[in-house]
Parts: sequence; structure tokens; C-alpha cells
Amino acid sequence: MEQLYEILEEMNPEVDFHTETALIDDHLLDSLTVLALISELEDAFDITIPAVEIVPANFNSAEAMWDLITRLMEE
Amino acid sequence: MFSISSYFSVEYLLILLPLCILLYLMLPKTARRVTLLFFSYAFFWAVSGKLIVYLLAATLTVYAFGLWIGKILDAQKQALAACEKSEKKAVRSRYHTKLLRVVVLAVLLQIGVLLVLKYSPFFSDNLNSLLRILHIQVTLKSPNFAVPIGISFYTLQAASYLIDVYHQKIPADRNLFRFALFISFFPQIMEGPICRYSDTAAQLWDVPKIRWENFVRGSERILYGLMKKTVAADRLNLLIDNVFTTYDAYDGFVICLAAVCYTIQLYMDFSGTMDVVIGTGEIFGIIMPENFRRPFFSRTISEFWTRWHITLGTWFKDYLFYPVSMSKPMKKLTSRSRRRFGNHYGPLVSGSIALFAVWVCNGLWHGSGWHYIVFGLYHFVLILTGSLILPLSIGLAQKLHIDRNHLLYRILQIIRTFLLVCVGELIFRARSLGEAVGMLRKIGTSFTLDSLHSHALFTYGMDQKDYLILLLFLVMIFILSLLQERGVRIRESIAKKGIAVHAAVWIVAILFIVLFGAYGQGYLPVDPIYAKF
Repeated sequence: MEQLYEILEEMNPEVDFHTETALIDDHLLDSLTVLALISELEDAFDITIPAVEIVPANFNSAEAMWDLITRLMEE
Repeated sequence: MFSISSYFSVEYLLILLPLCILLYLMLPKTARRVTLLFFSYAFFWAVSGKLIVYLLAATLTVYAFGLWIGKILDAQKQALAACEKSEKKAVRSRYHTKLLRVVVLAVLLQIGVLLVLKYSPFFSDNLNSLLRILHIQVTLKSPNFAVPIGISFYTLQAASYLIDVYHQKIPADRNLFRFALFISFFPQIMEGPICRYSDTAAQLWDVPKIRWENFVRGSERILYGLMKKTVAADRLNLLIDNVFTTYDAYDGFVICLAAVCYTIQLYMDFSGTMDVVIGTGEIFGIIMPENFRRPFFSRTISEFWTRWHITLGTWFKDYLFYPVSMSKPMKKLTSRSRRRFGNHYGPLVSGSIALFAVWVCNGLWHGSGWHYIVFGLYHFVLILTGSLILPLSIGLAQKLHIDRNHLLYRILQIIRTFLLVCVGELIFRARSLGEAVGMLRKIGTSFTLDSLHSHALFTYGMDQKDYLILLLFLVMIFILSLLQERGVRIRESIAKKGIAVHAAVWIVAILFIVLFGAYGQGYLPVDPIYAKF
């Protein structure tokens, strides 16, 4: 989880990823940032995130992202 | 024959909708479903007549393809349950190919009908021009099909349903009537919002009883939409029509004014229609997705498109942008370019390819003309430029000790974005690309305030009284929007009030429309702009 926070903070230092729960809904992460983030997550955690998983529910908070990562790591 | 031209027409607001509500109120649950479906098809018939066959064909084919995809998915599930662990990958791959073929065929069929009906003249005209350039003495006949209303909207709904079934986000609907109601629900068939199956299908089928609170809430929203349309959109129409039809007769200032007025008109017409549409849904207890979120408060073009025609933007994002940018070759490109250009510029390489596809399609979706494609590309360039210069502008602001969140900075960003949007809408409204260029050139070469000084401005379709009413109305909309931006929940506050307050709201709104609406002699009511797309 700490590694995820590091990645997120590097992407956008102006956002508090520990508390924010509407990153996509409030447009704090735009689609190009999401692309960068996915690429980074795939490299860092050795996972493949399919396009179908790119829904607000999976990216609205750091916790949701962590759930997605752990689920994909288990698959 | 009974016909309906728009959601603002007397036939819709005073005949079809009240009749539907009345029957809905009197009938039991199953009959309420039939009522909604019947009125949806009656509405389509009243707008498009015999072209209803296209809606029927789309409904039946998408329903059948959905079942087919569902059947393959069931077979895959059974095969996976029956095979050894080592065989699962091969089984998945076999079914994946089959599924992909069916879903691609199904989506192409729907998009194909849209392309043939809507774009045949555009494609054949351009092909003929190309043949002439190549000195080939062949001229293709330009077919001109009658286009059913809302085809661009229901085709996208149908495509999203098929893709969502394929991705197993939703099950294939086995109930033809429920599916038909999702595709054809009368308030949204003509101009959207583009609903997802998971948004509205179950709600529609649930047909809850009409509650007084919902009726009040929905009808107030309809009145708000009517105000936007009659007081602002219709009032602006004659001026806009005059300037955009004979722009040569006007100087750059008047053309600028017309572009700003058209941007306001488009917002008032389309968001006003959405108020009527969503308000109608609310009466029946159905929550439809919002299509606007105060777009003129946007600080960037990118943000603007998350607030304007939201359901179209999210459709393109979910079904075009991410599938393209997340495809294997694009992912490799993102990974390589990230290593080379860093986290900000790296994803822009593949992202811009996907973004380009989105904006060409977005432009084309709006209409068959080069100016629509240029309108799309204009926004593509603006969004890409915004992303490219973002680190530079952050760095510059830091060096110059400018607070990017300062109110003045934000206001300047909002004004800049509004002006850029107006230029885009000028291209969009112009009758051709040549005329759009001509108008922009005139703004640059003959910008004078003569028409203002000589008062000629008040003879172009709007007089002093019209400008005053419009200004006051815009100030009112601005104050309401500002309050909403600051988190004030105006509708929720009104909803809690008693009947006296609601009665006052209705009376004031109706009086406002009667007294300040632009109708009768000297006005030209605007046709529903987005229904043409």
C-alpha cells in the first residue's frame, strides 16, 4: 500500500490520496493521468489491468486501487 | 396526423405527457410498463412516422445479439467448469475469439446503419470530389435517406449495452419489452442523455407509483427548462440566424457577438431540453444521468468536456478512449514513452492517438460536414496543448509567485476557456468550413464597434428590450449556478418547503415564461438543436 501512495503522490503531489475518495468523480485524475498511472501500476506490481476495469469505482480512492491491484495479483 | 416537433411543443407538454401520467396513475404495475412502452413508441411515431421501423429493427437485432453473446458466455462458463485447470487458458481463448466476432459484428451492424443513413451524402460528395481531382470521369449518386430522430443517441445506447454484456458487466436481457423500453423511453430518445443499461433499465421496469414529491420536483424542473428555452434560446435565434446566414453583411464585432450568443443559445436549448427530459423522468420516479454540470465555470477545455454533454463524453471515454489506449500495442508504446519522456509526457504519446480518434468521432457524431470534424479536431488540439504546456505553466507560475488557485487567476482561466469554447461553437454553427474560416477572418480584419455606436446592433434580430431581458435572465442563471458551484443544494431546499412555496415557484415561473418568453411576431423559435444529431 505504501508503494501505491508513493506512486500516486509522485503523479500528483497536490492531492491528499490518504483521504480523497472521489478522485475520478471529482476529476482530480484526468484520463491521461489515469493512463500514466495504469502503466506505472502494471510495471510496479507486475499486473495487467484490462480496459474493462477502468471504472470510477476502481480508481476513486487509493484503497479502491489497492483492492484492484490485490485482486489482479491473485488472478 | 398528430405530430411532435420537440419536448417544448404543446403536443408533448399538454397532450402526450399529461395523458401518459394520467393513464400511469390509474393502472396497475404491469399495465404501467405497457403504458410507458406504448407512449415511447407513440412519441417516436409522432416525431418520425414510418421511420419507427429503424427503431424496431435496432431493438430486435440488439436484443437478439445480446442473447447470443449471453449464450456464448454461458457455454464458456460450463466449459470452464468442466475442464482441467491446465486447459482453462485454451478454453478461454477459444470462446474469447467467438465472443469478439459476435460483439464486433453486432456493434458494426448498428454503427453501419447510422453511417449509411446519416453520412452517405457526405461520403459520396467527398468521394466525387476526390474522383474529380484524380480526373476520373465517374460521378457517384448521392443517396439521401430519411433519418429517424435520435438515431445517434439510441445507437450509442445500443452499442454500450452490447459491449457491457460482452464484458459481463450486465447480463443479457431476456425480456424483450424491458429492453425495448430501455432503448426507446420517450423522454430521452430524441436528445439523450445517453443512458447505460445499468443506469435506467431496472428503474424503468420497476414502474413505481407516481409520488406527489416526485411530481412536484419533476414539473418544477420542466418549468426551469422551459424558461431557458423560451426566454433565452428562442430570443437569441433571429440574431444568430441572421448573422450566420449572411455573415458578409456584418463586421467582426457582430460576428463575435453572434458566436457568444450561439454558445449561450446552445447551452440554454440543450440544457433546457435536459431539464424537461430529466424532469419528466423524475415525475415517473426515474433518475437519469445529468448531462450538464455548469460548464461555463470550467477552467480548462478538458474540464469543460467533463461538464458539457457529460454522457457523450463518458461514452467516448469508456468505449473508445480506454479500449484504444489500453490495447496491447498502445500499452507497449505508453510504457516505452514513459521511460523516455517521463510520467507526464510519456502517456501523452499513446493518449494523443486515442484522443485523436475520440475527437474525430465526436466531431462526426455531431454531423456530416467537414466543419464538424474540424470542430472535433479543434478541441483535440486544445486539450493536447493544455496537457503539453501544463508543467510549463505550473513552473512559470511558481517562478513568478503566482498562486494558481487565486480567485483572479481562476476567473481569467474561466474567461479564456469560455472564449475558446465560443470559437469552437462558431465553427460548429457555421454552414460550412469555408464560411467558418470567412467569419474568423472577418473578426480579425474588420472588428469595429460601429454597429454599437450607431445602434444598428439593435436591428439585427434583438432590440434593447430583448438585450435587457436576456441580460437579467443570464444574471439570474449565473447566480443560481454560482450557488450550486458553492455546494448550495437549491432544489433540495425548495423540495422541503410546503405547498405554498411550490405554488409560488410555479406561478412565478409560468408568469416569467408568459411575460418574458420570446414568442409570437418578431421571434423565430429555435428547432431542437441536438435532435438533429
